[in-house]
Amino acid sequence: MLLALNLVSIGVKPTDFAQRPVTVMMTAITPVQDTLNSFAHGSTGFVRNYFDLVNVRRDNERLKAQLAQTKSDQSRVVELETENRHLSDLLDLKDALGGGNAVGANVIGSDANGLAHTLMLGQGSSAGVMPGMAVLSFRGVVGKIIATSANASRVLLIDDHNAALDAFDQRTRTRGIVAGIVDDGLTMKYVDRSQEVRPSDVIVTSGLDGIFPRGLLVGTIKSVKGEGPGMFLNVAISPAVDFRSLEQVLIIKQMPESIDTQPKAKG
Amino acid sequence: MLILFAIATYMALLIQTAVPLWFPFHALIPNLVIILTVDLGLRHHSALAALMAFAMGYATDALSGNHLGMNAFLTTSIFLVTYEMSSRLLVTNVLVGAITVFLAVMVAGLGGVIFTAGRGAVEEINLVFAQLLLQALVSAIIAPLVFAAMAGTKRVIGLPDELERE
Repeated sequence: MLLALNLVSIGVKPTDFAQRPVTVMMTAITPVQDTLNSFAHGSTGFVRNYFDLVNVRRDNERLKAQLAQTKSDQSRVVELETENRHLSDLLDLKDALGGGNAVGANVIGSDANGLAHTLMLGQGSSAGVMPGMAVLSFRGVVGKIIATSANASRVLLIDDHNAALDAFDQRTRTRGIVAGIVDDGLTMKYVDRSQEVRPSDVIVTSGLDGIFPRGLLVGTIKSVKGEGPGMFLNVAISPAVDFRSLEQVLIIKQMPESIDTQPKAKG
Repeated sequence: MLILFAIATYMALLIQTAVPLWFPFHALIPNLVIILTVDLGLRHHSALAALMAFAMGYATDALSGNHLGMNAFLTTSIFLVTYEMSSRLLVTNVLVGAITVFLAVMVAGLGGVIFTAGRGAVEEINLVFAQLLLQALVSAIIAPLVFAAMAGTKRVIGLPDELERE
């Protein structure tokens, strides 16, 4: 205490011996302080960077969300455009079939088992749909109605192995029965071996079965095989309609006497 | 029990008719109604269960093919065979159930083709055999999950999960 009081009372100058311990202490403490200081600075920078990064991440997430929204909007627009085009094509077809004789329907379900080829449609007896009516898409023939409820109906696709329709080759006028096969695709039965049907010939409905109007596109011939026994050619047909991607169809309530314009064959 | 299977069948048919619209590989979609029929045959031995199997097939007929009664016949037959089999076996565990489902899906598919194709059945069976085999395999793999879900639901609502004999 006395020593301390002495130091206070004498007034130590910077050059005095008594100042030495202070210098030593300062020298000793400086490197540690420097280290701590740089660490503290570094930490601050790290914390600052961290917060910056968090902000960048937030911005990134916000921009990603905006991009996803834009993409979603874009795909919705494309979807609406496609639907609009399909409906417009169906409307053309409906006009060609006499307007009020047909009703449009959405495909709402598939067959419960994979082996039969049927689809469920979102229009039923309340819209005047009855079993036996023809179902078309703007690409061609789809099938016929086999069952209805008040607000839904089921259509047997022409590629089901229990389906058949009367059709002919547009080039040679050769008639035959187009039937589905259990695997996939269509075949034209009862085509005489003397007929000159060939691949890429267009097959259209004859109207003689009383279900489908005459002149509707069924498909094109994929292959013709004549080898082996039998009276008839083995004619494989590629359907005009892709039954797996159908979304909207047209149900013909009353068969028109004639079709104004034949439905266009698209993609 | 009947209400539970009725709801399960409704959901199964909903899945079987809706999923193929988004997922075009029908062979990879399990036949859930057949799985439920096997579950019914393995665990519920009563006249009501047989009627339920018929109703499940009939409901499938309403949403599949154009031969009303074909699926009702097939599911009732599968129920009866499963019932007979389970009454003769000492244990009816998950493995037995899965194997039964595999065979049942094959029988139902082949039966359906024979029923509808008649004389041309052999040729058509050749065309769809691989598809049927795949669907039967997928159904057999999914079957234990469906059995567990049904057993869990029965426990939750207080129904016995053990074998019921009449």
